Parts: sequence; structure tokens; C-alpha cells
Amino acid sequence: MFEIQLGPAGAVIMAGRLDATQCEAALKFLDGLAAQAEPRVIDLSRLEYIASAGLRVFLLTQKRSKESGAGVRLINVAPQVYDIFRYAGFDRIFDITRAGG
Amino acid sequence: MKRHTSVPSDAAQLSTLTQFLQEFWSAADLPAAETVSFELALEEIFMNVVMHGSPAGPVPRVEVSLALCDGCLTLIIEDDGPAFDPLSLAAPDVAASLEERRVGGLGVYLVRQMMDAVSYQRLGGRNKLSMTKRVREPTP
Repeated sequence: MFEIQLGPAGAVIMAGRLDATQCEAALKFLDGLAAQAEPRVIDLSRLEYIASAGLRVFLLTQKRSKESGAGVRLINVAPQVYDIFRYAGFDRIFDITRAGG
Repeated sequence: MKRHTSVPSDAAQLSTLTQFLQEFWSAADLPAAETVSFELALEEIFMNVVMHGSPAGPVPRVEVSLALCDGCLTLIIEDDGPAFDPLSLAAPDVAASLEERRVGGLGVYLVRQMMDAVSYQRLGGRNKLSMTKRVREPTP
């Protein structure tokens, strides 16, 4: 199960498992948003799992966001997802806030 | 404890394999914190097989097995597709700036980081990738 939606405060909220079969839907959603206004914050408190295909979604979003603005922040990142971001060196190219931190 | 399953090399089968792994995890009563390493390894290697399968020939068959021995779990993924050694891929530069970032090769890099040991063999027309990690302290 994977869900992506726009929260009431304007943050993009992702929940569940962002595996290779869900990435196209996630990118399409983010592309649609960007046509209106580039997302600034993605809340990952309910994202349970990610692999390299999912990392690509964040990388493409950040590249586009940085072209026109300040980039996207990732907040409330769960420990097992944070580990994968860190292995991939994403802590160098994203502003990441861990869950509870 | 050992389990084995087999699926066609098709991205739609990823959920079947994830479920196979999760059922093994419950049955063996393994620590939840270690699941993600194996879920990730399964996805990365399976999706590599899907993407590198022969476009014109028959759909490769993918065999997946899990074996738990003395606290170490071994995941073996075999397929009868074209020869492809994922361990031959160059490591990505995870210190590169945003502009220079590429995602290619990141999957296998993550698998190497998260597993204790990874090896590839081409045997009898089949690719065989073995991945092992300690998931529990050995029983005394």
C-alpha cells in the first residue's frame, strides 16, 4: 500500500511503501502539484519503506525544486527510512528532519 | 528453516515476493528491525532482473530462496535471463552535489551496504546472487 496526498497545511504526505511499482504514481502526483506550486515540505512520518526507485522520486523532485526555489524539506522521517537516505548520501542534498527530532 | 518460491520476471510480481519474505519473517519470528535490509535487497535485485531480461526472448523465471541458519539469513535470487552481474556496476558517488547526482547503480550499492556478504555466480546459464546478513545472535 502506498498513498500520497496534499495535507491541510500544504505539506505533501506520503504513507506506506514507496516501492518500484508505486514510483510512477508518486512522480505524477508531484508533477501535477509543481504545475501549480512547487512543494516545499514532504511529511514522511507514515512512510515505512523505500528503495532506490523511490529515492529517484525524491532526487528528481529536489532537482526541479532547486531550479526554481529553495528545494524541498523532508520531515518526520522514520529511522529505517532515514538509514536508507543516509546510506545514499541524501543527507547531503536534502534538509532532513527525523521523526521525534 | 528454508523456503523457496518462483515467479516470472515481471515487476507486478514484486508484491508477491515481498509477501513471501514477510511470511518467512513471521514464521521464523525474526526481529522486525532487520526486515528492511532484506525487503530492499529483494526489490533491488528482482527489479534488476526484470530490467535486464531479454526483450525478445521468453520471460525469465526468477527463483527466490531464504535460508536461516544459526542466526544468519541468506537470500538467493536466481534467474535464467541473459548473463548480468549486478556487482560489476560502478559504485555511485554518494558525496556528489545535487546537480551531479545519478540514481543508476544506487540500488546495488545500498544492497552492499546493508548486507554482510554478497556474491554473484553465473552457473549453467543462470545468474545467481547470494546475500547474507546476521539477523539474530547465534544460539549458544
